[in-house]
Amino acid sequence: MTYPFGRGWQRVTPYLLLAPGLLLYFLIALGPSLATSLYSFTDASGVAGAPVNFIGLENYREFLFAGQAARDNIDALGRTIIFSVVVSSAQFGLGLLVAILLTQQLPGTRFFRTLFFMPVILGVVIQGLIWRLFLYPLGGPASKIVEMFGGYSEFLGSTDAFWWVIFVQIWANMGITMIIFIAGLQTISVDLYEAANIDGASAWQRFRFVTWPLLTPSVNTNLILNIIGSLQAWQLFLVLTGYRQGTQVLGYVIYAQGFGQTSGSVSNAFRQGYAAAASIVLFFLVLIIGMTAQYVLRRREERLLG
Amino acid sequence: MNKFRLIALTLVLALILPLGVVSAQDGPVTLRVLIHQNPPMVEFIEEFNARFTEANPNITVDLSVVNANDLATVTQTRLSAGDIDVIDIFGFSNSVQPYMSGATPPNWQVMIEAGLLLDLTDQPFLANYDPVSIQDSGMYNDTVYAINLGRVVYSGIYYNKDMFTEFGVEIPTTWDELVAACEVFTAEGIGCMTAGGADGWPIFVGAYGLLGSLFPDQAAYVEGLWTGDIKFNDEQSMVMWERMQIYARDMMERGASGIPGDAAPGRFASGAVAMFPGGSWYASAIESAEPDFDWGYIPFPGSDVVEDNQGWFGKYDQGWAIAAGSPNVEAALLYLEAFSEPENYQAFVDAVGFIPTQPTATLNTKIGGEIAQYLDNFRVGYEQYWVAPTGVGQWASPFASFFAPFNEWDDAAALADRAQSDLQSGLDEVSGS
Repeated sequence: MTYPFGRGWQRVTPYLLLAPGLLLYFLIALGPSLATSLYSFTDASGVAGAPVNFIGLENYREFLFAGQAARDNIDALGRTIIFSVVVSSAQFGLGLLVAILLTQQLPGTRFFRTLFFMPVILGVVIQGLIWRLFLYPLGGPASKIVEMFGGYSEFLGSTDAFWWVIFVQIWANMGITMIIFIAGLQTISVDLYEAANIDGASAWQRFRFVTWPLLTPSVNTNLILNIIGSLQAWQLFLVLTGYRQGTQVLGYVIYAQGFGQTSGSVSNAFRQGYAAAASIVLFFLVLIIGMTAQYVLRRREERLLG
Repeated sequence: MNKFRLIALTLVLALILPLGVVSAQDGPVTLRVLIHQNPPMVEFIEEFNARFTEANPNITVDLSVVNANDLATVTQTRLSAGDIDVIDIFGFSNSVQPYMSGATPPNWQVMIEAGLLLDLTDQPFLANYDPVSIQDSGMYNDTVYAINLGRVVYSGIYYNKDMFTEFGVEIPTTWDELVAACEVFTAEGIGCMTAGGADGWPIFVGAYGLLGSLFPDQAAYVEGLWTGDIKFNDEQSMVMWERMQIYARDMMERGASGIPGDAAPGRFASGAVAMFPGGSWYASAIESAEPDFDWGYIPFPGSDVVEDNQGWFGKYDQGWAIAAGSPNVEAALLYLEAFSEPENYQAFVDAVGFIPTQPTATLNTKIGGEIAQYLDNFRVGYEQYWVAPTGVGQWASPFASFFAPFNEWDDAAALADRAQSDLQSGLDEVSGS
């Protein structure tokens, strides 16, 4: 096989064109990631000019094995997995359902596509503030609705706060799942549905044997994005509940330790070396779950689509 | 002159001219000042900055305001980037004591040791401040790095005077009287207390009074917890937990856990509840919400002994420090000097309601008048002393916000045991046992 780009400058050109992108990738993505892994072996505070000492695996030992704090970290890890499973499943199911509804020949589909996608373009802070207002327990809209049915809830101020954050996370990100599914649905040829109709297939059979297999690339993309996104999510906890005992996910623990926000009121010491070690633990969690999911999904794709 | 010489001369001039402009002290200077969000303070500083620029036309003040929770992060980021001249820094606290083995030093100490804050020791304007306040809140290793602008109280309760009169309730001076007062209001269908529980920490600000009245020497309390002389589940601590639970469950109005911190003063001022446990900094928000509202401020009566309840617990609040690497040190010192002038400082404490750290300043505000009667008995509170041992569990602190409805605990004894077990876990970790 001959080299496709010729000789001389023609051979160098592709590398030159790749260079800016690679440089940006190294500077913005790979560089900080490598620095984080190096930081995780130090007692760095993050304060410029402060001494940084190499302490080996001490941060990892403290995070995983030191006292009750380590057991609290493992609990946060468990909550992160629960959060990810619930958010990924619900976001996937709802996104698929809404996408199917909005690709039917029904009036108002464009409006509803915009409506469902709108939360995605709002920042996390705006998303959080909207729901803090909506869930205000003393006469807020949600409170009024619950009271109409004789109930009462403190919403974000209650022990159910974790589940309310899950709800808002799904609301905030379902639009992306929906759009990816809509794009996938639009690539499926109408001829296939017509052929299935002629063969007498029911609506469920058309979905089961036409839509679902041909949506495989979108299914895989959505599942991977949902799983990784939800494992890393923590910002809504910051905006909606703050650092409250018994509700933190791992991402929030990392932020709070790195930037001294663990007490809820005073700012504690910054522990960015320790936070870096915690983020490497999270990275491996995402890596293991993400790679496993990708392996399973790729096998499925090969089986269905060849 | 040949072409080479012309280029060389141009280059040399290009390098020298900007240096000349920068070093000229009467040239235009943009002084970058960072403060935390506190509406009356922001309003005052904006006005002060305008006056300062009028008096020093070559200096423009670029003011940045951040949320109090983000102040430490933004300070660190901007100091690292060399992007700030004057910073707002809370009074130095949470120092690592000799008995706190293996504890991480507080951020201010790390910043000083990293050479990020300017030495202010010989500045003449320090003479305007109470030396004790400088010693307690801005000095490290015999060097002054910050001037503190005032103390705040966080162990008091605001009360609605008209409501107390209407229902014939006496101002409570003991725990039992407080419980009885709340029962009267609750029986009348009025919430006894409110707090900004959605933000978490405002719920336990009031509880610092309860903690302080039961453990008046808060520095000794922290030391006792570290050394094991005091336990979270000993007899005196059990009194604290049981009262914390009553405070969280019975005294707070339903829904308080969902109220944002900045909405709570307005809710109290609206007459929705009889009392509002909170810091002295809330006074201006209450006055802004309802200027004609008649309120008072009393120490939280957490003890059964009247005398134990006649004092305040609080902290040194905002102060000023200068970035050591600032290119505008002269302008920054000028700014602090102007701010420290007695008339400017008096206007500042009048605006924000701080307890002054300049001995010549007076307490002119309404909250100042309320605080004044027990001001001789002002002590720094638990929050400013506590440093957690490495490995300590999350429940090892005496906060009311752990109880239902704010959190998951509904049994005082169970929480006390868990708090002690979480603390002991950290103590064992640092002692290596």
